Amino acid sequence: MAGAISLRVITPENILVDTPADSVRFPGLDGSIGVRPRHAPMVAALDAGSLSWAGPDGPGEMFVAGGFAEVRNNTLRIVTQAGELVGDIDVERAEASAKRARERLRVTGTAAKAGELDSLRAQAALRRALQRMRMAQTR
Amino acid sequence: MAGIKELRGRISSIGNIKQITRAMEMVATTKLRRFQDRAISSRPYTEDISGLVGRLAAVLGSSVTERPLFQAGAGERTLCLLITSDRGLCGAYNSNMLRFMEQWKDGLDHDVDFFVYGRKGATYLKNREYNLERFLTDPQLEAIDFTNAAVTARMLTTEFLSGKYKDVVLIFSAFESMARYVPTAIPLLPISADSFEAVEDSGGSGVILEPDAETIFDSLIPRYLETRVYNTLVEALTSEYASRRFAMKNATDAATDMQKVLRGVYNRKRQEGITTDLLDIVGGAEALR
Repeated sequence: MAGAISLRVITPENILVDTPADSVRFPGLDGSIGVRPRHAPMVAALDAGSLSWAGPDGPGEMFVAGGFAEVRNNTLRIVTQAGELVGDIDVERAEASAKRARERLRVTGTAAKAGELDSLRAQAALRRALQRMRMAQTR
Repeated sequence: MAGIKELRGRISSIGNIKQITRAMEMVATTKLRRFQDRAISSRPYTEDISGLVGRLAAVLGSSVTERPLFQAGAGERTLCLLITSDRGLCGAYNSNMLRFMEQWKDGLDHDVDFFVYGRKGATYLKNREYNLERFLTDPQLEAIDFTNAAVTARMLTTEFLSGKYKDVVLIFSAFESMARYVPTAIPLLPISADSFEAVEDSGGSGVILEPDAETIFDSLIPRYLETRVYNTLVEALTSEYASRRFAMKNATDAATDMQKVLRGVYNRKRQEGITTDLLDIVGGAEALR
């Protein structure tokens, strides 16, 4: 049997997840991408969203705030700057950050010439916060 | 005769100072370990990011050097991120850093603007009326985590892209060993393509890229710069605390030596006093006989 693919989620602070998995689903920039054992080598950029997997050690789901996925030698490495397992999502913090992002969007929206980059960043922050909240609720 | 009482006072005050320096040494040791741990735990992330950068750069080939962050900026000046410490009592750490910075600056033929971490560096630059563009205090240097370092990296990138600068340089103390911290200047921007690790697997072309190499690469580069800045900060902090621990250890040792010498003098003086007193008494008794 092919055996499981080993899934590893790596953040700057620690290695958050290290588990064998039979299937993994992660948020690619153009939509969700699924990976099974013996997948061809791949590098993908991630959007903020949900990373979920099923495997011999049980299924799991977590939030990732963007980053990259790399499949090599039957190992899937998710390299992300931030992420939490569903149970660890801080809803209050997400709500606060959603509020902050909305506020910023309103300000940059009125100030016509304000850097496009700022508003893009605020949009991204808002998206991350909403996604976190959604995932915490569906649980 | 330097009073025996003064001597006793000096010995006990040296004892007090010794206690303080020893406590500071212990604090520095703990913090040092904490920063070392942090450096270790961020290593897998850093390695993966730079590995990805290297592999994608190989896929993109020579077109990499045409990306904006790979070309010298439009400006004339250099932007320097200088990392010093907030507090003193860490040996020659800051003066070494600042001396190195002066030498580096003398070697340039154009002006430099500074971003500074650490109050020592900020004060120095202010007193000499250098162009201190920004003094980064939020958060305190010691409380730095990856998110804050990322913000700093973004700030530097934005400045670089504004067209005011030609390049961005980090000046910090590289940690070579517990007793060696070398002030170092490394270029951050523009990125030089040969700074990437040589790529081993030739299977670069067979890799599926989702969505495509350019998009991934462009979102990878900011992450890459973030790890560079973060690692630099952690390394500087490690050096600072190693240096502080060393300085405090020296101070404690010096206090012990001093105490020993003074105690010798004190005992001799005390003995002299007793002998004189005894002689007086004996002399008096003889006279009475």
